[in-house]
Amino acid sequence: MEMNEQLVQAITRAVIEQLQKQGASVPETKTADRSVQSLSGRTRMRPKHHYTNVVKAVKGTDPKEIVIGVGAAFQTEIRSTITGIPLDEVLRNVRAGIEEEGMVSRVVKVLDTSDVGFMALQSAKLSGSGIGIGIQSKGTTVIHQKDLYPLTNLELFPQAPLMTPETYRKIGRNAARYAKGERVTPIESENDPMVRAKFQVKAALMHIIETEQLDPEKGMIEWEGVQ
Amino acid sequence: MKRSKRIEALDKRAVNKDGFIDEWPEMGFIAMKSPYDPAPSIKVENGVITELDGKKREDFDFIDQFIADYAIRADRAEESMAIPSLEIARKIVDIVTPRKEILKIISGITPAKMAEIINYLNVVELMMGMQKMRARKVPGNQAHITNLKDDPVQIAADAAEGALRGFSEEETTTGVARYAPFNAIALLIGSQAGRKGVLTQCAVEEATELELGIRGLTTYAETLSVYGTEKVFIDGDDTPYSKAFLSSAYASRGLKVRFTSGSGSEVLMGSSEKKSMLYLECRCLFMTKGAGTQGIQNGSVSCIGVTASVPSGIREVIGENLVAALLGLECASSNDQSFSNSDMRRTARTMLQFMPGTDFIFSGYAAEPNYDNMFAGSNFDAEDFDDYNVLQRDMQVDGGLRPVTEEEVIRVRRLAGKAVQAVFRYLGLTEVTDEQVEAVTYAHGSHDTLKRDVAADLLSADDMMKRGITGVDVVRALAESGFEELAESILNMLKQRVIGDYMHTAAILDDQFQVMSGVNTPNDYLGPGTGYRVSGKRWEEIKAIPHRIDVNDL
Repeated sequence: MEMNEQLVQAITRAVIEQLQKQGASVPETKTADRSVQSLSGRTRMRPKHHYTNVVKAVKGTDPKEIVIGVGAAFQTEIRSTITGIPLDEVLRNVRAGIEEEGMVSRVVKVLDTSDVGFMALQSAKLSGSGIGIGIQSKGTTVIHQKDLYPLTNLELFPQAPLMTPETYRKIGRNAARYAKGERVTPIESENDPMVRAKFQVKAALMHIIETEQLDPEKGMIEWEGVQ
Repeated sequence: MKRSKRIEALDKRAVNKDGFIDEWPEMGFIAMKSPYDPAPSIKVENGVITELDGKKREDFDFIDQFIADYAIRADRAEESMAIPSLEIARKIVDIVTPRKEILKIISGITPAKMAEIINYLNVVELMMGMQKMRARKVPGNQAHITNLKDDPVQIAADAAEGALRGFSEEETTTGVARYAPFNAIALLIGSQAGRKGVLTQCAVEEATELELGIRGLTTYAETLSVYGTEKVFIDGDDTPYSKAFLSSAYASRGLKVRFTSGSGSEVLMGSSEKKSMLYLECRCLFMTKGAGTQGIQNGSVSCIGVTASVPSGIREVIGENLVAALLGLECASSNDQSFSNSDMRRTARTMLQFMPGTDFIFSGYAAEPNYDNMFAGSNFDAEDFDDYNVLQRDMQVDGGLRPVTEEEVIRVRRLAGKAVQAVFRYLGLTEVTDEQVEAVTYAHGSHDTLKRDVAADLLSADDMMKRGITGVDVVRALAESGFEELAESILNMLKQRVIGDYMHTAAILDDQFQVMSGVNTPNDYLGPGTGYRVSGKRWEEIKAIPHRIDVNDL
């Protein structure tokens, strides 16, 4: 696909600035004349988040319900996806897609795994309809169904940098259609064969931020309204 | 600051779009040697390994235990561990010590010792080691066959062309997971239309992949992933024991199988335990050996963006390939994932496997344009075919491919498309139109083909699985639709699992379905004048690139 390189760079800069403001040591990639920074000795990207007054997520009973399971750092340590789409906007679009199809959504935060396949499957198991959506903070998304094998899925969006707000809306819509038992045409696959060269290091750093926020004892918590 | 025009020009170079990061051992961003890597050690009591790389048996995690119990020859351990690492490193490179003797020494060492040995070798020495330690005498190559639309007709056509071009194995995967049965069946048919004896696999979720294999819709498997830390295994709901069990499931049905690993995955998943990528990969490879599988796909693979971002990362990649060969494993040496915006850098990275030769230099090469590569882009793609053929000719190196003519390409693509059309019709699957076959025959990629009804395809693929369609049904469908030769070829592929010879290390099949493996055609390199040399008919084939000057036209 065609990528507007300038736009990508601008977004990347914005994300890095934001990450740095939040205290991350994000390696610069542009300037050639900087002195080598030493990362040795640092053992975390972010301080550990302490959740108070959280409610453990329970299994829903409404057959119209679709559960959206978000990553451990979602809207707390990380506020936008790998290309800078605000996570508030991501959620708003997924939920709008679900509602357009006449279904209802519930958002939970997954604190016992950062693997998007398992996040989505666990969400599906909590969901009244048996359909769940897992969204990592960097933007990677899976639509899952409660009785499928963990590493398979209904639809997988493995390349977070290609996601747009519109894709998230379509994901919400398709998840709702699966829940209704309709014959669903999956969202067309997209592919940027250079995605690894451009984004993999950043993806690794963002995933570290997510993974170090895991709190398996809390498991899955209700996330609507909680911050 | 007033900017230098020179620096501005350099800043714009493709290589400066790549991701680089400083070494950061605490987060695993360290290629070959972390200050937290353990020092090599071993203790054997009554034939049981009671200490491994500084850890006592009671402190073992499940990876340590699996390695201690299954991957190291306890009877050879003390002798092998007593040889200084530098001395073993020198033996790997010299032209005196035969491969077999090295394999024997290595069978008694620990993962930390292996990492220490590799750290003594520079890239040229690592390549010399690979030239000697590769299992099969003749190097091979593997292709990726995928497309954005999961169009089975295009999969068949690209598989046929890829087989014609020389790939010994072909691997597909899906954009939409539920397309897997169609992709597998199309690849099986298409591959044999290009060259008899090509092996095929469909990389999808493990249970689905196993079922496709058991049904005879694939002829080998590769996507059994292992990791270097316990945490990553647990996150994936897995253990080394469950992987060994899965491997045995394939073996029980006579299917060739290899594991997949590769540095950087533990970093990417945030659980590197501060160890170097090389040390963690050594643990993966010892586990692979211990599980009794014949081979591995490794060389960072899909995490190459991470490994390549740190100093000495690309050296680490050939290093881990060599570790596989040292353990006597077949090595399908990656090169299968794009990682650099720079043509110079991506080519240089591949030379480290191309020049010494590995069992599969790529695992795999995108035999379609990279926009269609559903493994998120390979390091080389269909547009690089002629460059690759020229590299083979320039250096008199056998990279596993050959030049082809346009007429042959069109012929095999059409044959594959027509065969898939007939099989789909016979088995009552979704329709393949003449227009689709025609478009695919002449296509470069999915931008040139027609749209399919995805929802109908998925229902049909699901139905095909429910009806219990197997490889034998494909043979029957081909035979009764007038494709007897193709039917015969696929039947011959199915017979391999009864014969079993292709389960030997590094096995591929020639066009007479004869096995060439590390057992019946072992690598016997021991310096100049020995080992595999490109010559005779094969050299003539490599020489005959298109676009040579015809002196008669001058």
